[in-house]
Amino acid sequence: MRPFTWLAPDTTAEAVALLREHGTGARVIAGGQSLLLAMKERTAGPSHLVSLAGITGLAGATTEPDGALVVGAATTYAALTRAALPGWHGVLSDVAGDLADRPVRNRGTIGGALCAADPRFDVPALAVGVDAVLRISGAAGDRTLPAAEFLRGNGITAIGQDEILTAVVLPPLPTWDAVVFEKFRHRVFDAAIVSATCALRRGAGGTPAAVRVTVAGATATPVVLDVDAAATGADTGDVAAASFHPDATDEPTRYRRELVRTLVRRSVDRAHSQQGSA
Amino acid sequence: MTEAPARPTGTAPRLVGTSVPRKEDLALLTGTARFVDDLRLPGMVHARILRSDVAHARVRSIDTAPALEVPGVLDALAGAELVGKVKPWGDLMQDLLVGDHFPFATDKVLYQGQELAAVVAETRYQAWDGCEAVRVDLEELPALVDPEAALAPDAPLIQEQIVYEFGEGNVFDRYKIRVGDFAAAEADAAVVVRQRFATNKQAGAALDPHGCVADYDSFTGVLTLYSSTQSIYMVRDVLADVLQIPRTKIRVIVPAVGAGFGSKAQIFGHEVIAALFSMRLGRPVKLTLSRADVFRAGTTRNAQVRYAELAMAADGEIIGYRDYIVHNTGAMSVWGNQVVHIGTNVGMLPYAIPNIHVDSDIVHTTTAPGGPLRGFGIPQTIWAKEQLVDMAARELGLDPLAVRERNVIDPDEFPFRTPMGHVIDSTSIKQCLLASADAIGWDTPRAPYEGKGLAVSMKYTSARHPSLDTDLSAVRLRLETDGTVTIYSSDVSHGQSHATMLAQIVADGIGVGIEKITLAPPDSMTAPFGLGTYASRGAAVLGTACRLATERLRDKILAIAAHVLEVGPEDLDTGRDRVFVKGLPDSGIYLEIIAATAAYRTHQLPPGFEPTLETVATYDTPTEREGSDGSGNLSVTYSGAAHAAHVRVDPDTGRVTVVDYAMVHDTGTVINPLVVEGQHHGGFAMGLGMALSEDYVYDAQGRQLNASFKDYLAVTAPDVPELTKTAEIPAPSTMIPGGQKGAGESGTGPVPAAIGNAVFDATGIRFTVLPITPQRMLVALREKERQGVETLRYPDDMPDFTGPRWHADWPSPVSVGDLDLDFDWEDDD
Repeated sequence: MRPFTWLAPDTTAEAVALLREHGTGARVIAGGQSLLLAMKERTAGPSHLVSLAGITGLAGATTEPDGALVVGAATTYAALTRAALPGWHGVLSDVAGDLADRPVRNRGTIGGALCAADPRFDVPALAVGVDAVLRISGAAGDRTLPAAEFLRGNGITAIGQDEILTAVVLPPLPTWDAVVFEKFRHRVFDAAIVSATCALRRGAGGTPAAVRVTVAGATATPVVLDVDAAATGADTGDVAAASFHPDATDEPTRYRRELVRTLVRRSVDRAHSQQGSA
Repeated sequence: MTEAPARPTGTAPRLVGTSVPRKEDLALLTGTARFVDDLRLPGMVHARILRSDVAHARVRSIDTAPALEVPGVLDALAGAELVGKVKPWGDLMQDLLVGDHFPFATDKVLYQGQELAAVVAETRYQAWDGCEAVRVDLEELPALVDPEAALAPDAPLIQEQIVYEFGEGNVFDRYKIRVGDFAAAEADAAVVVRQRFATNKQAGAALDPHGCVADYDSFTGVLTLYSSTQSIYMVRDVLADVLQIPRTKIRVIVPAVGAGFGSKAQIFGHEVIAALFSMRLGRPVKLTLSRADVFRAGTTRNAQVRYAELAMAADGEIIGYRDYIVHNTGAMSVWGNQVVHIGTNVGMLPYAIPNIHVDSDIVHTTTAPGGPLRGFGIPQTIWAKEQLVDMAARELGLDPLAVRERNVIDPDEFPFRTPMGHVIDSTSIKQCLLASADAIGWDTPRAPYEGKGLAVSMKYTSARHPSLDTDLSAVRLRLETDGTVTIYSSDVSHGQSHATMLAQIVADGIGVGIEKITLAPPDSMTAPFGLGTYASRGAAVLGTACRLATERLRDKILAIAAHVLEVGPEDLDTGRDRVFVKGLPDSGIYLEIIAATAAYRTHQLPPGFEPTLETVATYDTPTEREGSDGSGNLSVTYSGAAHAAHVRVDPDTGRVTVVDYAMVHDTGTVINPLVVEGQHHGGFAMGLGMALSEDYVYDAQGRQLNASFKDYLAVTAPDVPELTKTAEIPAPSTMIPGGQKGAGESGTGPVPAAIGNAVFDATGIRFTVLPITPQRMLVALREKERQGVETLRYPDDMPDFTGPRWHADWPSPVSVGDLDLDFDWEDDD
């Protein structure tokens, strides 16, 4: 680690001002579970760290009048695991409780996971999978972006140098009737090689009206697939696999293609078999 | 005044053979054990090594001068200024004329992670700043990651400065076995199965990284080195040679060591560098390696390519084995060539194969140094040989269990000498085999995508290394004047529970309570000379030295007691801290009285008795040197291991799950069943990593891509099945006085082969490379479906496989002809 200056603002506006003041050498730190590792290895060397820890309102989950769930960007995985979220919102708790290891879950935040934009992380995949919206504060004011537009590449996001991700907004419960997240990893604490999210909305009579399938891990950013809502898991899996580097014959790509097929099939089948949202 | 509670009397139960709780556990579980990185000496400064990020390069220049301008930096070193001042090492273990190891690269970089320069500063961060300031100019050369590519006549030469006695080009050494007549066996056989097998480069991955603190005393001229090592005398003797100072001027002390697995069984560059800095500065210097450095510059399991053949008669008898082994020992290696000798010689067991023909080219690549790792070449040999046994059995329509039952050593009389030269003093390997198969329900039907597999081995208990004609350990014991006992040993306990195991032997031998016995930390200034802790030698070799020292101490104690009690020593017994007349266990003299007499009231001693109660014993195993045909009894006794695996393969993800696993071992007389079971479980976990997940992944430039615990897929607790079927069928050694056999590596050797055989049973896919990752498994399953075949070899039958698929295309050893290496001139005409 190299020397740096620790800044602990009380408000988001103050934090934004500090980022602007210190320029490209300044980095936001929340749980530090990606940034600190990079700093220890000296692959990152910020001059200033702007901590989100002291800003009130950045951690915890609240429900908006329209039923949307607003999760503060500095909410830790561990806090999400303990949160009693209704209906399919509970998937966020399940995902947060089944990634990395306990020390990482105790410190790591969902905002940090999104801003790290690691293709193998679960939270960005799930955020795109349920069509979450991200709230961003900056010197020029506040804005929102769909998660799919926020993630621009491996480690790259749409956030500006003097902007802060403040919240992840999950759409209201009626948006989906079932959300299923599936992933494959080597060891229990490893990042996913491939993940698949299936969000399903039923129409009249309980038949699927809309299915949103998102595949992550195998590509730089999560990919939302165009799928037939009525199709079976197996058929959807085949469609998903066929869209994934169909011409590549190298073993790592072939393997990821097979995992896409399997995980999409499993997520769609499980979503179909789940009862509707509470 | 209260009366002190009466001390217990009567005879004490024997502790050897019981699961005495480990003396080591309190410190480990409470976090108070001190490892080398915990050491803080007054005035201590911190060193860091700048390592090459490229694998193969010519050194144009390395300029450390800018580092000296960095705040806090005290000194810096690179290779050029040390040439002619420190002596290269590595010759002792390798039978080289000159050493091939040096603290820093001088003319060439041979692997990523090799030392280029080092900086010492007041803090470790300043030392890092200093390393970043060093100016390095390298001319990158093509990397050679593939050992077979390194054999090509036009391959770039890696080691340019070393003249090899038995090798040339990138072949650094050769090995061969010529026992019986394989060609005749081949002609007689009902079936000869042939397969190319490749094994992986596995890391030791000890949690406690390599590191040391060097502390040079400018007044006495003594250099004290605290190091995380498995052998204090190998480090001391080589370091003294490198620095060209007397051995008495180097003191090696070892704090708690968080495992080695073979990866700390030699001296490393960082130990020399820390010593040099401390001598130059007169201050203690700490140098702890980062995890990436441990991966890249520590030693790894030697990866091999084996062109293996097994000849079997129609009745299932194994009548011949042939192998050509391309043994990848990395860019340089202190122990690497020994691994193929012992791993292949001993790896022929548990069968008495009459005809064996083995050649090996031991080659350099621009990869991390190879070396010993739990099993010392045995797991590689077993991986090839035990799969060939299954393949031959299937070709003949025989049950793999029945074939093994027919072939495992089960002589009418012991000792039994195999054609290879092993002298088997006792074994229960057949009973172990049957029990392990029974434990997983060998004969019961398999569910779809489930399979069962067997593998058996017999493994050395220590060994007389071909280039080191010694196999000894020593113990000194002192009965202190308060009745406590100190054990001195130079053999480092890095997970082997020496403090408990040796104390059990001493407690039984002289009747002292185990709580009164202490194992002194390994310290070359006080400990008797021993080789160190590797090769599963603790219980049998060190344990025997301890037993001999204990017997000598007991004789001295009894001589004093007999004199005082006016009885013959043969009428005395010991127990509960006392010596008593046999049959009168509630009377007697306390050991502290006898010890105090021996030290402070010497006129009361028997006439002619040499005062104090201190004894020493050294045990060197009665083993043979390796013969010129490769045969010989290199190990004093052999531990048996029969493993039976039941696996399930997920046809959708490729994950192989071990759902049931039975290990039945012959570890001879077990001193502490708790410790031995722990050894087997840990050994299994290491074998599981070799089988399913662990390997060094290199890019084409020779850079390791997974040099972190995040990326290197070491096995963790959730990956290990419940190991409820671990059993012992002891056949006590008759060579070792207490009957012990080595425990530490039995759990590892058969694992990859047992799982490989089970995976074939489950899927019809024969894996010929390690590890069997989900990626390889799933792609192989899909390819098998695509081809519409019953069985498939991975990767041999994959469309993109570029190696030789069939025996006709196999390469031959890079031979220099049959050299007459037998310097017995009288026989020559």
